[in-house]
Amino acid sequence: MGTINWIIVLAYLTYVVVDGVRRSKGTKEIEGYFLANRSLPWWAVGLSVMATQLSAVTMIGTTGQGATDGIRFVQFYFGLPLAMVILGVTLVPFLHGAKVFTAYEYLERRFDPKTRSLTAFLFLVLRALSCGTILAAPAVVFSAMFHWSLPVSVAIIGIPTVIYTMVGGVQAVTWADVKQMVLIVGALVAVVVVLLVKMPVHPGAALHIAGATGRLKAFDFTFTLKEDYTFWSGILGGTFLMLSYFGTDQSQVQRYLTARSVNEARSSLLISAYWKIPLQALILLVGVLVFVFYQFEAPPLLFNPAQEAKVEAARGAEYTALQQRYADAFADREAAARALAAAVDPQAKATAEAAFQTREAEVGSIRTDALDMVTEVTGESSKDVNYIMPRFVLDQLPVGLSGLFIAAVMAAAMSSIAAELNSLSTVSVIDLYRRWIRPEASDHHFLTVSKIATAVWGFLACFVATYAARLGSLIEVVNLFGSFFYGSILGVFLLAMIKSARPVGAFFGLIAGMTAVGAVAHFAPEVTFLWYNVIGALVVVGVGMALSWMVPQRSARA
Amino acid sequence: MDPSEDTPPADRSMFRRTLVRVMIVQVVALALLWLLQARYGG
Repeated sequence: MGTINWIIVLAYLTYVVVDGVRRSKGTKEIEGYFLANRSLPWWAVGLSVMATQLSAVTMIGTTGQGATDGIRFVQFYFGLPLAMVILGVTLVPFLHGAKVFTAYEYLERRFDPKTRSLTAFLFLVLRALSCGTILAAPAVVFSAMFHWSLPVSVAIIGIPTVIYTMVGGVQAVTWADVKQMVLIVGALVAVVVVLLVKMPVHPGAALHIAGATGRLKAFDFTFTLKEDYTFWSGILGGTFLMLSYFGTDQSQVQRYLTARSVNEARSSLLISAYWKIPLQALILLVGVLVFVFYQFEAPPLLFNPAQEAKVEAARGAEYTALQQRYADAFADREAAARALAAAVDPQAKATAEAAFQTREAEVGSIRTDALDMVTEVTGESSKDVNYIMPRFVLDQLPVGLSGLFIAAVMAAAMSSIAAELNSLSTVSVIDLYRRWIRPEASDHHFLTVSKIATAVWGFLACFVATYAARLGSLIEVVNLFGSFFYGSILGVFLLAMIKSARPVGAFFGLIAGMTAVGAVAHFAPEVTFLWYNVIGALVVVGVGMALSWMVPQRSARA
Repeated sequence: MDPSEDTPPADRSMFRRTLVRVMIVQVVALALLWLLQARYGG
């Protein structure tokens, strides 16, 4: 990658660790370590909320998705602003006003210890696995791109993150998130500028080329439970998912519990409401522009260099023939793209568009053959989409900027992992250790245990990352596993806001919600995961309220 | 616990104003995406 780029990456890693350690000076007690003594400004908390949600998968996977599938994924976030507003008037005042450390602690005050413990346990299992997979995603890509072994790749991202999170606590996490967000947005904007400068056609023509392949279709109003990304699944399913994630997941709740007041906590969430859709659209548009750029600059047949080497070694002659077909098809497509860019009147434009679409389909068909070859040779799904952006960055960006982008990918990974480690430590110490094992211990003791817990979760995440990456499909399994529980946990918090809801309704409602989602996943697998959140939440509230009404009557009779 | 009891009227009014601004930004963002699709989406 070049010495200057590596110096930039190394400087970033060093700065994050040193700054994190510096932040630890003000952290002398557990409330400071986990909640920064509820003293952080709304804008820092808001940027931390955004940085936590924006992981390395967003930087490399979502841009790749933009290049191959266009911007329709933006619909996934259509429910987010509404969810933030709903949270601002419902859960945020409850949780911040209750002066709790964790969202689950509030559930014990409202219901009972077993509801708290079950939700805390589910959080710990889900987040421990997801933390590992969030670390695994960029580690696998770096491993393939830079020829590092996977454990080294995991350690380069994981160890600095564990150090600054363990030593500095939530202060270090939040202030690192702020800088990481600036770095991420700065790198994305710089890439857009480079793409526009290097593009051989004007931006309007570039958008026409992207549009001709359907990559600028942002809205799909089809109402179906079978499609992942439609307007309706985004608005309905997405709202429930975002309510669950931002309202009940400790990795997010802990961000806004550090705010100075309820109003500042609400305002911090509204930063995401303002900027999430525009930012996500920008990330996807970067991918779309990379796609257009590769109409004029020959892209590799396979973007993953490690898999390409394996295919060449195993089926060299066949792959070389495929590459030749690819080069010919690319030349034809480039000519068609230039003709489309030059077309002026509507009739010529329509003809050029049809010719371009035919050429694009030919190129796509050859790439599909190459990806099938990868699957046959390696025995695993290619996931080549995750390598489009890194390959573009390393091959096409000027010196310095590619280092900046790689640092931004690391920043995106570290900001998410740090917040998750911090929240895992909080839940394990507050909801389990302090609640069940050592309720009377000193603040100093809890602070020491919290730091140890952060380190233990960090090393477990590194272990899971190495293991998950080898299994490959585990990442999808974990994501699916998470969507089984999110909606149901949201349902418990919705019950908490209904005065007549009883503890028995909350606990058994939660179990009923998870069972219902499991049944839908088993018997109606065509229903996509976004709807699981709606189903889970509604079943918990329905069953929970029914039990709450039934149980007092039985008690009265007894 | 009723959280609205702890929230001063000035805070509630500020939140309402922010809410209106958030919704305006979302409408503008969605309109721009719609424009992109209608103009270039084919």
